Formats: sequence, C-alpha cells, structure tokens
Amino acid sequence: MTQQMPILSVKNLNLVFRVPIRENHSMRDAFTQFVSSPWEIMSPNYDRLHIAKNMNFDVHAGERIGLLGVNGAGKTSLCRCIAGMYKPTGGTINVNGSVRAIFDTQVGIHPDLTGRENAELLVQFLFPGIKRKKAEEVVEESLEFSELGKFVDAPYKLYSNGMQARLCLSLISARPSPLLILDEVFDGADLFFREKIENRVLEMIRQSGAVIFVSHSMDQLLKVCNRVLLINNSEIIYDGDPKEAIEIYKDVKKIEAH
Amino acid sequence: MQSQIFINQVYVLTRANLKSRYRNTIAGFIWVIMNPLLMFGAQSLVFRKFLQLNVPNYYLFLLSGLLPWIFLVQNVEMCTGIFVNSRTLLKAFPTHPAVYLTAQILDNLINFLAAFFILLLGMAFFAPYPAQGIPYLVFPIIFLTIAATAISWFLATLQVFFRDTRFIVTFVMSIAFYLTPVFYPIAIVPEKYHWVIAINPFARLITPFRDCIYDFNLKTLIESSGAAFVTCLCFIALAGGLWKLKKNAIYFKL
Repeated sequence: MTQQMPILSVKNLNLVFRVPIRENHSMRDAFTQFVSSPWEIMSPNYDRLHIAKNMNFDVHAGERIGLLGVNGAGKTSLCRCIAGMYKPTGGTINVNGSVRAIFDTQVGIHPDLTGRENAELLVQFLFPGIKRKKAEEVVEESLEFSELGKFVDAPYKLYSNGMQARLCLSLISARPSPLLILDEVFDGADLFFREKIENRVLEMIRQSGAVIFVSHSMDQLLKVCNRVLLINNSEIIYDGDPKEAIEIYKDVKKIEAH
Repeated sequence: MQSQIFINQVYVLTRANLKSRYRNTIAGFIWVIMNPLLMFGAQSLVFRKFLQLNVPNYYLFLLSGLLPWIFLVQNVEMCTGIFVNSRTLLKAFPTHPAVYLTAQILDNLINFLAAFFILLLGMAFFAPYPAQGIPYLVFPIIFLTIAATAISWFLATLQVFFRDTRFIVTFVMSIAFYLTPVFYPIAIVPEKYHWVIAINPFARLITPFRDCIYDFNLKTLIESSGAAFVTCLCFIALAGGLWKLKKNAIYFKL
C-alpha cells in the first residue's frame, strides 16, 4: 500500500529572532544613544528569541490538527511560518497545494466603504485568484448568512466588533481549502451568532483537505480536532490524541515530565 | 500565479481607494486635485508676482517642477505609515505588504496625472509652449513613480522600527523643497553651490520633467533620464536591502 502524500510537511523547523538588548523605538532615542555612547549603537548586542525549536510533523488529508499551548508558546508563529508570513531560520516547510490562513476576524479593508464593499474586497484577499462570478456569489451568500440586514450598506467604520466578526467569519467560512489555518477565529463573534457560525465553520472544515486550528477553548478543540500538537516553550512536546493532549496541558507537572 | 494575485489585489484596492476618495462624484474628484492646483496657484503668485523671479514662461517652469514634487511628497507622507496603519490587515491574513503600498502609490499617481494634464492643457491656451517633448513625459513619470515607490517602501519599513520616522520625513521633505530646484532654475544658483543640487537625488528625478516640457532637448533629456534611472536603482537597492534584512522582524514588530 502506498503512503498518502502529506498536505503539509514540517521538518526541523526553527524560527529565531535577533532582538537588540537595548532597543531604540524612535530615531530620537537612536540619536541620543549615538551621541552619548556611539560605540554601543555601532556594535549592538542581540538576544536570541527562539520562537520555534526543531519542530517536525506531517499533516495528511482529513486531519484536523489542534495547536494547544499557553500564550507565547509559539502557536501563532508556527502558523505564520506555514502561511508564508515568516521565513524560517532553519528547516523546511512543504505545502502540497494552497494555504488559506486567518488570524483575526475583526478586519475590514477600507473603513470608509460599506460592509458590502468591504466584503467584495475581503473576498479577493481571503480567496486570492477567485473568479469574478464566484466572488460575487460568495459575497452575496455570506452577506445573507451574516444576518447584518440593512447594515451591509452602512459604512464599515460604524460596525461594532461583533458585526465585523460576523462579516469576516461569514466570508472565511464560505469556501473550503486544501490547507486551512484558523487562529482563534471564534473569539470575536457574539454569543447569538457563535453557534450558527461554529456549525458553518465545522462544515467547511469537513470539506477542507486539512485544518490547523488554534484555540484556547478545550470544548472547541475536542469538537473540531482529531489530533493535537501541544506546544510548550516553542517545542512540540506532545503529538496525538486530543483528550490526552488536554490532560497533559492541564497538568503543568506532567508537561515538565514529558 | 503569485504575480497575477498581486496585480489583482493591487487593482481592487486601488479602485477602492479611489472610490473612497472621490465618493463616486465629480465634486470628490475636484476636491482631490484641488491641493496641487491651489499649491500651484499660490506659488505662481508668490514667486512670479511678489518676488518677481525673472524666468521666461514661469508658470510652465513651475508646473514642470512643482507637480512632480507634490506627487513625490504626497507618496512619501502617505506611505511612510502604511505598514503600521495596515498592521491589523497584515497580521490577519497572508498578503504581501507591498499590495497596500502599491495601491496607495497608484491612487496618488492617478490624481497626479489628472492634475498635471489638466494644468498642462490649460496652459496650452493661456501660455502656449512647444509640444514636441510631451510624448517623452512617459519616461520621467515612470522613473518618478518607481523612485517614489522605493523611497516609500524604505520609509514604511523604517517606520515599523522607528515610530517617529514619519515626523522626521515631513521635516526633511520641507527642507528638501528649498534645496531642490522646483520653483527656481539652477541658473540662478551661484556656481559654487551647484554641488548641493548635484547630490540631491530629488533634483535628478524632477529635471527630466523640465527637459520634456519647459526646455525640450532630446540630448539633455537622455542625459537627465539616465541620471533619474540610476537614482531609481539606488532607491530600489536601499529599499530592497532593508526589506531583505528586516522582513521577518516586521510582523514581529507590528
């Protein structure tokens, strides 16, 4: 039996940022530092911030991977690497197909334009290369699903956070993708809309090739994922069953033991 | 495929910018081009009538320098903050930051071309000028647009790390305005100070416009266009170098 080719293959992934020990946030600071101690600014000392350490994993079709870890563990950075937003310092990321990633749902492209006009723009950014006719269908269907009613023709800048999330979530969940990355996407939606959008996102996830799902909600991870990567201090310390991953995550001593 | 996506995203964003600026009305269009027109009117009055600069066909001379200058300044000032201002979008989904920058530049280019050719056309009636250099304008416009994009790209990247860059840029550009032969000809500058103009990269971008419209001479135009081309390459190298060095850190710092 031939082994199925992975949709995503991550090998020895390392991501390191060089952060200056004394950082100047403005040109004025840099100038005053240059005048007071020119040598220091010409030979700055750097700290190495290791965001991802030797990460290895494959993702196959049908897998719904959950990323679990405390804030700052490196979940979002890993997703950004896979989405091509960060260039890894070492290792390789091979994606077989296209990646669609969303890290924030309260976004509008142009606040002065209406919700509908923003949806027409967003669809080009969320689904790059989409055909014009298909884009129109997605926008219409998503606007209807969002239940924003007459507000779709109101300026986007007047939208509340919940309304912004409704619009963006309705769009992002309109089409499946070979590899989908969803980073805490449900967090912005209001309570009434959350259940409706959850079902739609779950349906879209089922139709997608594979999904990487980041959430701090254990219930959502259990509902969505069939495999969980537990990340601690920028390293994958567990890769497997969601229930067990959650147990390990809850037990800090157990994490250290691993 | 990637370049096709890039072009498509720039196109839809430029269209949205224009829509937002013009509000789909003629009045909106007039409002947008009013800035360069008023600036041209005020400077014509001051330098021609008040200070009585002795330059033949001064209105045409000023037009050929001032409008490209306004386009350059507008781009630099509007684009320096563009990565920081678009941080929510840049971090929300993978889109090349250059999409936002290029769309803004194109938006400004359309406004610049509209104002520039309206004035040029108006001037043909009130202060006729030889038109043989007009078709060559395409080269200075391309060089200026490329240089404006590269400078803006460099400054937008710098702004991510030094948040006071845009204030310094405004200050520097206001000084550069006086050191660039926009409203005065190089001929009135004493020869011992010509080096100030010679090292000024903005002067190299403006001069080909003047060679096309005001004082057309194909040989001079080719020379000044060559200098503008080299200036473009320098700005591209500067912007590309900083981008390559800081690409990863940009998302981290936004």
